[in-house]
Amino acid sequence: MSAGTPPLSTPPKPQAKALNCPKCGAAITLRCFGQAETVVCGSCRCILDAKDPNLAILQQFEIKTSDVKPFIPLGTRGKLRGTDYEVIGFQRRHITVEGVTYSWHEYLLFNPYKGFRYLSQYNGHWNDISICKQLPMLEGGFFVGIGGSANYLGEVYRHFQTSDANTDFVLGEFPWQVRVGEHAVVTDYVHPPRVLSSEKLDKEVTWSIGEYMYGREIWDSFKLPGSPPEAIGVYENQPSPVTTNVTSIWLAFAAFAIFLLALMAGFDMRAKKEPVLHETYLYNRTDAKSEPSFVSDVFELTGRTSNVEVKTYAPVGNHWIYLNYALINQDSGQAWDFGREVSYYYGYDSDGSWTEGKQHDSVVVPSIPPGHYYLRIEPEADPSLPSIAYTVDVIHDVPVFGIYAIAFVALLVPALLISLRAYTFERSRWSESDHPPVQLSRMTGNSEDDS
Amino acid sequence: MFRKIYLLFGFFTLGTAAFAQYRGWSLDTVNQLKNVPKSVRDNPGSYRSVYVGYHHYTGGK
Repeated sequence: MSAGTPPLSTPPKPQAKALNCPKCGAAITLRCFGQAETVVCGSCRCILDAKDPNLAILQQFEIKTSDVKPFIPLGTRGKLRGTDYEVIGFQRRHITVEGVTYSWHEYLLFNPYKGFRYLSQYNGHWNDISICKQLPMLEGGFFVGIGGSANYLGEVYRHFQTSDANTDFVLGEFPWQVRVGEHAVVTDYVHPPRVLSSEKLDKEVTWSIGEYMYGREIWDSFKLPGSPPEAIGVYENQPSPVTTNVTSIWLAFAAFAIFLLALMAGFDMRAKKEPVLHETYLYNRTDAKSEPSFVSDVFELTGRTSNVEVKTYAPVGNHWIYLNYALINQDSGQAWDFGREVSYYYGYDSDGSWTEGKQHDSVVVPSIPPGHYYLRIEPEADPSLPSIAYTVDVIHDVPVFGIYAIAFVALLVPALLISLRAYTFERSRWSESDHPPVQLSRMTGNSEDDS
Repeated sequence: MFRKIYLLFGFFTLGTAAFAQYRGWSLDTVNQLKNVPKSVRDNPGSYRSVYVGYHHYTGGK
């Protein structure tokens, strides 16, 4: 270089322009670069025009800071569904239904490559929300957006609620012209765990799709201290804890019932039902004063261990007879002791004729091994009954239908309980909707898909 | 999850029912005894049932 040439100066380093609130002078942080339309001064609650180099004041609102405290502070970064996001905006909105105000929080998340995403929180229920990439198709309903359903990407969402939402608190920056007092008509359609929402502001309608998230997932994603607020009640798109389609449970029950029926028919056909003893004995009161007990002939039970049915028939009328039975294995000395009563009463009174009891009785003695057996019988009878002939039948290997009845009930009870749980859950969900349960006809049929 | 549990429970129930039927289970209650003396066959009075003295119903309507 020649001596007369001025030295080259190093180019100036790019510096971020310091932004300050034109109202109170507090520092303003812009996190989403040039995409913010409005930014809120956290100090004086002025809504500023982020596109204006001088940050023109658009609105100022008054609210106690202590009244609204975001669970996720602005500037918090976290990984949501595999993508890093930063919380850049927060707003509280509310609806008023029958004089009751319901408020919820919305968090605006930003990623420079993925854009914006939202989190909503109501009573400890969270939703991960993004703008729909395709316009949903409305089906049915008397008016567009009221009643009926919406179809989005092949999934049918049932109308849940249409309400007027008002924004009453904002903080941070927003890619739209946010205002406190902003009024929008919000319509929700649900297909748990997703919710499809349309938000009508003036003539502009924005559709968003949300998916239910548990507070613990949010806390883990943003590494927040402490525990998430406990979820209260059932939220509109909260997945049912009975994460099973109730219809599939009943289909399974029907299949089991048919299988049980087939099992019963199969065992009934396979059972030997082999008569091994058929005797008629005479009970005589005068004889009973001596030793009343006696033994039957020996009979043989063959094959595998199975049951034995002992049937008694006595033509009693307004009397009873009681038989102390013992089925005794002649070889091993093993015995099965049981007593059976046969009684039958009848008469006539002001209500008409009546009967009580039966002239026959049956008992199934369980799991009798093969071998040689006999019955020891010790009869007792009504003192007014002088004598009676009674018949004893012993049948080897009989089906016990009570087992199938118990199995049927055992299969039925869980299906009923699951249905009841799903019903009560759906009832709680829809009781908060524009379609309370009394109008709900397909409540249990619209449970969530099986997980 | 509930469906899987229910399916498992259903198969277990059917299996138990089939096993119970195969093994000759019963819903009736009997008292099982061992080593009843062989003399019972010749002298039935040497054994007394535990059900002797049962209180019988003598009513009617």
